[in-house]
Amino acid sequence: MQTKDHKVLVANRGEIAIRIVQACRKLGLAFTCVYTAEDAASGHVRIARELGGDKSLCRVSSYHDANELMAVADDAGATAVHPGYGFFAEDYRFARRVSQRDRKLIFIGPSWRVIRELGDKINTKRLARSLGVPTVPGSDRPIYDEMEAEKVAQSLFEFQEQQGIRKPLVLVKASAGGGGMGIEEVYDIDLFRSVYRRIRNYALRQFKDEGVLIEQRIRDFNHLEVQVVSDRSGRNPVHFGTRNCSIQSTGLQKRVEIAPGFDPSSIEYGFDAAQVLRDITNHSLAMARKVGYDNVGTWEWIVTRDGRPFLMEVNTRIQVENGVSATIARVRGQKGVDLIAEQIRIGLGEPLGYGQEDITFEGVGVEYRLIAEDPDNRFTPWVGRVDGFGWPERPWLAMHTHVPSDDPYDIPTEFDPNLALAIIWGKDLAEARERGVEFLDTLVLEGANNAGEPLRSNVRFLRDNTGRILKF
Amino acid sequence: MFDITQLLDEIKASPYEEIVVTAPHTGVVTFADVREGARVIGPSGTWKEKKGTLLATIERERNQKPIHAVEKGEVKEVLRHLEGTFVEAGTPLVRLRHFLSRDEVLAIILKKALHLFVAPERAKYYFAPDVDKKVKASGPRSVSLHEGMDLFIMSRMKREAGLAYSGPSGVIYAVYFQHNENVDAGQPLIGVCPPDQLSLIEDVVARVQTEWEERE
Repeated sequence: MQTKDHKVLVANRGEIAIRIVQACRKLGLAFTCVYTAEDAASGHVRIARELGGDKSLCRVSSYHDANELMAVADDAGATAVHPGYGFFAEDYRFARRVSQRDRKLIFIGPSWRVIRELGDKINTKRLARSLGVPTVPGSDRPIYDEMEAEKVAQSLFEFQEQQGIRKPLVLVKASAGGGGMGIEEVYDIDLFRSVYRRIRNYALRQFKDEGVLIEQRIRDFNHLEVQVVSDRSGRNPVHFGTRNCSIQSTGLQKRVEIAPGFDPSSIEYGFDAAQVLRDITNHSLAMARKVGYDNVGTWEWIVTRDGRPFLMEVNTRIQVENGVSATIARVRGQKGVDLIAEQIRIGLGEPLGYGQEDITFEGVGVEYRLIAEDPDNRFTPWVGRVDGFGWPERPWLAMHTHVPSDDPYDIPTEFDPNLALAIIWGKDLAEARERGVEFLDTLVLEGANNAGEPLRSNVRFLRDNTGRILKF
Repeated sequence: MFDITQLLDEIKASPYEEIVVTAPHTGVVTFADVREGARVIGPSGTWKEKKGTLLATIERERNQKPIHAVEKGEVKEVLRHLEGTFVEAGTPLVRLRHFLSRDEVLAIILKKALHLFVAPERAKYYFAPDVDKKVKASGPRSVSLHEGMDLFIMSRMKREAGLAYSGPSGVIYAVYFQHNENVDAGQPLIGVCPPDQLSLIEDVVARVQTEWEERE
């Protein structure tokens, strides 16, 4: 079967669904989108109606219901499933079911064995250690038992004291959570139990899984990522550079992402930044080779102030911030790299067709996540109606959004109030920063809620933080 | 205070409600043998453990899901053109005309008689842990409320915030929200009965019990 004969089920919503549809169009592929009642006004529904062919849109009861997705795939004649991010993206059982059922579909992501191997944190850490890659200490799997949780926390406090850390700190987080939800810090072992119970109850309510992870919280660090891409052979992984995602909300959700991860050409670091970038890239590729990684993925690292990297986890999926790496990447000198299209193309079985030596980088990319929230009030989400949304088109700007700019849009309360991703390119850090500020200053974003209060957004937060990007 | 006689008369004048039975999820529909004009019954038994009349089945991934009448009533319309087709979630399948039951009439009237504590925002609501324990152990009427007590956890976008009760002291007489379902802003969460009105409310209950005739 040739690539262009495939039909892709877009098993996600919002901005990523739109980007998958656009990538499918680029590759000449048919697609089918799904949506729930709350999302009827979302841009991905609109784009599916406008651009889709026969059976290109179906209302489902839930994005979380695999039976729904399979039933729609069969009815629409889909041959592959793109999970986007979140939902089923890192669920190896889903990937396995998709590829092993009677009417088989291609899962556009790593093969289920790879997802299983790297999704299990014990395995990932064991694999990392076997290759000499340093990892973050902590519980390697979800803990369901209070006594065990306390033991792990106690050992982490002791470990930090031995390391000479003055204010040791342990992170308690809901295992099934993500994106910074359900995380609390504990400074005192005596308070651990109450925090543990709170997080456990929260996790049970929200995720129906009371597993909790306990980790050492390393303060004063930078969060870096390595973008890995590899075709189905699993033998020739390449990287698309590094990203720095250190500017986060208080709930540890990313707000600004920059590629590359450090900029030693214009900023002075207290360590050999170029060497750190080389090290994490080499470590990531070594692990990808070892497991036979066969699609796109991200290796997440924390780098301490003295320039030591620790592997945090591997995300076996495309990430929100993939576009910021693509914007600075050139393949054989050509611009216009689209990592989602590459993911689909190699996911459907095409060989990558180029090697590491063909990939170069130019300039600096900055991605802003525009969110309706109140940064002054612990980033509380804002709910209401967006009725003014616009920006001047620029050659150096790419906007990804599911929010219509010609119609009012009610933010659904089911999902995070993410409005758009803005990706900005500059020939160097100074230009990227300048353009970033120009974009934020000319952006129109207005609305009101039920009580008539004006829309709150993180635009000022993004602007205030643009000055410190890539500084450590 | 409201006039219960007038309210009852109003309800008696139009004692029906249209119920649209929709597809709970996607799948291929097969209608059961129900005709327009036929009587159907809703779930029955002490714990509503006996299902209502079978209206249709919907098949998805080789699983058949029966769709039963949720209330008793008369079949107004069966959307037969959908027979054997793949439908989206939420597609209307059958319309029923439902004659209000005694409990439903009581609920309507109580909603007017009780003090309603409404949802300030569209969100999912849960009772706060202490209240939840009491409700589960001995029912909502065992919970006495006072101004400012922690009553709810309000959850939006997986973020949770406490919500304190405000209003007259009393017991929770009725609960209007469902676990894990969104409640729109302004919709009631609970109905509260202040102690001095308890006898009045019990009067209302007794009136409805005696005056409302259940129809098949």
